[in-house]
Amino acid sequence: MSTELLTSLHVSYIQNLGKSTDDLAYHLTAHLRLNAIYWGLTALFTMGHPEALDKAGVISFVESCWDERAGGFGAHPGHDAHIHSTLSAVQILVMYDALDRLDVPRVAKFILSLQQPSGVFAGDSFGEIDTRFSYIAVNALSLLGCLDQLDQNKTVDYIKQCRNFDGGFGSSVGAESHAGQVFPCVAALTILDRLDAVDGETLAWWLAERQLPNGGLNGRPEKLEDVCYSFWVLSALAVLNKVSWIDSGKLTSFILSAQDPEKGGISDRPGNMVDVFHTQFGVAALSILGYPGLVDLDPVYCMPAPIIEAKGLRKGWKGLERRVAATV
Amino acid sequence: MHGVKRVRESPEAAAAKKLREQSKIKEYLALNDDVLSKKASDDWSREAFNLTTRILQINPEFYTAWNYRRNILLQGIFPASSPEEINDLLTEDLSMTTAALKMHPKVYWIWNHRRWCLENVPDGPGTEGDVNGWRKTNWDREMFVVDKMLDADSRNFHAWGYRRYVLANMPVARPETAELAYTTRKIESNFSNFSAWHQRTKILSSLWGSGKLDYSKSKENGELIIIFSEFELVRNAMYTDPNDQSVWIYHRWLMGAGDDKDVLEHEIAIIQELLDEQSDSKWCMESLVHYKRLLLKNHHSSVDASSLTSDCRRLLGDLRVLDPARRRRYEEIEKQLL
Repeated sequence: MSTELLTSLHVSYIQNLGKSTDDLAYHLTAHLRLNAIYWGLTALFTMGHPEALDKAGVISFVESCWDERAGGFGAHPGHDAHIHSTLSAVQILVMYDALDRLDVPRVAKFILSLQQPSGVFAGDSFGEIDTRFSYIAVNALSLLGCLDQLDQNKTVDYIKQCRNFDGGFGSSVGAESHAGQVFPCVAALTILDRLDAVDGETLAWWLAERQLPNGGLNGRPEKLEDVCYSFWVLSALAVLNKVSWIDSGKLTSFILSAQDPEKGGISDRPGNMVDVFHTQFGVAALSILGYPGLVDLDPVYCMPAPIIEAKGLRKGWKGLERRVAATV
Repeated sequence: MHGVKRVRESPEAAAAKKLREQSKIKEYLALNDDVLSKKASDDWSREAFNLTTRILQINPEFYTAWNYRRNILLQGIFPASSPEEINDLLTEDLSMTTAALKMHPKVYWIWNHRRWCLENVPDGPGTEGDVNGWRKTNWDREMFVVDKMLDADSRNFHAWGYRRYVLANMPVARPETAELAYTTRKIESNFSNFSAWHQRTKILSSLWGSGKLDYSKSKENGELIIIFSEFELVRNAMYTDPNDQSVWIYHRWLMGAGDDKDVLEHEIAIIQELLDEQSDSKWCMESLVHYKRLLLKNHHSSVDASSLTSDCRRLLGDLRVLDPARRRRYEEIEKQLL
């Protein structure tokens, strides 16, 4: 079991993902391709290897995912535009400083068209609603400099209605609090400077109680731990400046124990198959926990902090201080 | 990948598996290309519809194929069908996705497709005069499906979300008292099911808000009687497993902002009794601190503030030792005590 981050293995794991075309699983996950590139690229930036992928190739792949009819991005060439893949496209282009490739007004229009009368956003024209989509809209519009076009009060009102007595947030009005929904709701409110809509003390209590004796975090009471919840929970704790309310040492060890020490990548829990999603959210959590050698990850946008700062978008979150690697 | 064990294969075994996969990949990609090219040419035919069935059975997460399927129905098949045929098609899609859900209970796209099907059930059968007949049949069946899904996994949040959706939209509303009884059954079969406790907070809020159940207390012979049996249910759960956080979180909801001094003191006594039996119960201590702080905050002039404060300090000191992961939180709360 590893006790340190296997950076070079993770870099090569991510680099090789695009070459697994002889795996059936590769083709069965085409509907997540653009998201997967965003996850991989963010992990690479956070590990200090922003050059590890072929930039020109990635940008042209992003462009090939454009859905001309809808005016947004699908996850793969020929797939329908969706708000989630559209955010991934925007995030990738921002990380590569290539937003000039984008028809910004059209993308903003696509996103804005998905807001429902209640204030929540739909994922696409078929109208599945979720507070995750509200966050995606707020995040993307902010990155595109188009937040002024959004009906912010209506957006916030819906998110507020999803807040429960335990301080957490659900996917829609009436839904149970879930760490995977707390992250998008709190991050959206942070971007909109509306943290007044969060009951910080109650939420930080509920979030701190997600840590289990093995150090891992779960997403809801009495559920199992999972590496990805490390990020969902830590993001909101960082915004509330309460990362110290959990045992960071035990969580760090838990995430590191979920690495594949032979082929790289991080899994949901120790001993399971790795994937790029858990690799990214494991690395992101380690960055917030001050793991030595990592670049700061902005927990609000889930992107490299220096890039968000350069755009003047940094909000008042606080991770743990970056530790210096112990000399061996 | 969620919950899939990592297995180490020998290079030979891995190579053999890859080889076996090649024909599957070829077949899948051919089907995929066929679907996407038909979609690109606005092919709304039956043949295209059947192709989406095939590919979605292999890959139910292929959202573009679900969209295409719905567009084929809307653009090509429905306009040429009678209301009865439309109802049959939607009923078939509902049964197809019931089977898919059994294998993939957490795929958003499958749940979404069911919503769309239900929302598109036409008026009918009509001859008997009941325009909601087909809708009633389909939505009633839906409650049955959700029950089954929650029997299989009582915490599936997709299923709970969908349950709330069905309850809110079915043509003949189910009484909320029936849903309250459902959460009671779920909780009694597993006190740890926080999803059911959560659902209960929503149902009770609604029932109390509409005045259908009486959340009040009365005093008889000087003794506090809580009319509603809610606290009793909670107490059973607390005593059954004092380490399970579900019931303690729910209890916090029941207590609310702590406006009622009698209720606070009553519950503090009950929890203290449990702590006396289970001296290392973190949740007893955590809850005592919370409710004593509410007494201090809301009823300061009529309580013994210095003894409550020193109780809190002592409990927080014990919590720091018992639950070191959250030590910093206990320290911060202690600093807030006057």
